Amino acid sequence: MSTLTTSALSLPAQLRNELREQGFGPHFGTPCGVLAPLYEAMDGGDGVTTIPREDNAVGVAAGAALSGRSPIVLMQNSGFGQSVNAIASLVVPYGIPILFIVSMRGVAPDDTAENEGMGTLTEPICRLLGLPTVHLDSAADAAAVAASLAEQVIVRREPAVLLVAPDAFGWRA
Amino acid sequence: MSKTAAIRAVIEATPDVPVLYTTGYACRIAHSIRDSDNHFYMTGSMGLIASIGAGVARETGVATVVVDGDGSILMNPVGMIVAGADPTLPLVHIVLDDRRYDSTGGQEVPSARLDLPVLARGSGYGSVHTVGSAAALGDVLGKVLTDCRSPVFIRCVIDEPDEPVPGRIGRDLRSHAGRFGAYLRRFG
Repeated sequence: MSTLTTSALSLPAQLRNELREQGFGPHFGTPCGVLAPLYEAMDGGDGVTTIPREDNAVGVAAGAALSGRSPIVLMQNSGFGQSVNAIASLVVPYGIPILFIVSMRGVAPDDTAENEGMGTLTEPICRLLGLPTVHLDSAADAAAVAASLAEQVIVRREPAVLLVAPDAFGWRA
Repeated sequence: MSKTAAIRAVIEATPDVPVLYTTGYACRIAHSIRDSDNHFYMTGSMGLIASIGAGVARETGVATVVVDGDGSILMNPVGMIVAGADPTLPLVHIVLDDRRYDSTGGQEVPSARLDLPVLARGSGYGSVHTVGSAAALGDVLGKVLTDCRSPVFIRCVIDEPDEPVPGRIGRDLRSHAGRFGAYLRRFG
């Protein structure tokens, strides 16, 4: 029904709308340049509560999820590195439903040396922890992505990770 | 007071509110004194108990108690900054301050020059207390829980030895999260 309306919107606005319609929220995040358009789109909608460090955002989101919500945490993969123990020792063993939206610095077209390590490590860490991943690039179908993530997080009450390509929302190296 | 005496006072004052216990001996002691639906035992993720409690307090709107340690609070003081940033957060943050990493062999916490109550005030907690006995802890907790509408910090000076430490929390953490989630839903 909303296809015509949303297709005129930018990808961040489409994704925000589709995630909201699926029932995700509240939103927490630590700012990231790649995710800034989504961050701003969400700030104009349900609002994002900024948490100054990513593993603390995972903690607050875990409390929200235990309270019955389906929270989203926005972070760069550098912050995902910071959060690995919180995810490995809290989210995974307790089975806490959180959607992680993680920007993939350190993969093409981002060739910054300081991000190469987490660019290489992010997907293998998700795989080894048993976290299902969905990829988002600039040509993604926001409705299909949101529906797949909702099936995992809201219906099955398990965590999931949306990996966002560096240029998905227009970021340039 | 001993850690066990402090946790016993917390349990007696909190039969009807969510209480989250940090990793190490705090959750093991609480579990052994009284295992209850309103308890959450954080067995890993050291440093995050205040953040998890903030998420619970924010979403349920119910006064939520976290029992932290001085070592864990120093590991991640951002949790205090997160809690203090929301002046309407009904979070009671209790810190059992024994100046030791008790569960890892009793190494000293490098806090000799740190003023935790000042850190709490500076982070935005509106109400900050230091207590030296289990009776005083019970009194303060009883008072703040009658009408908790902003973050409260209670530092407990732990200066007496504990009884032998009880066993670990079991491996079925998913069931534990499910039980606590079911308890929280009564406030939804």
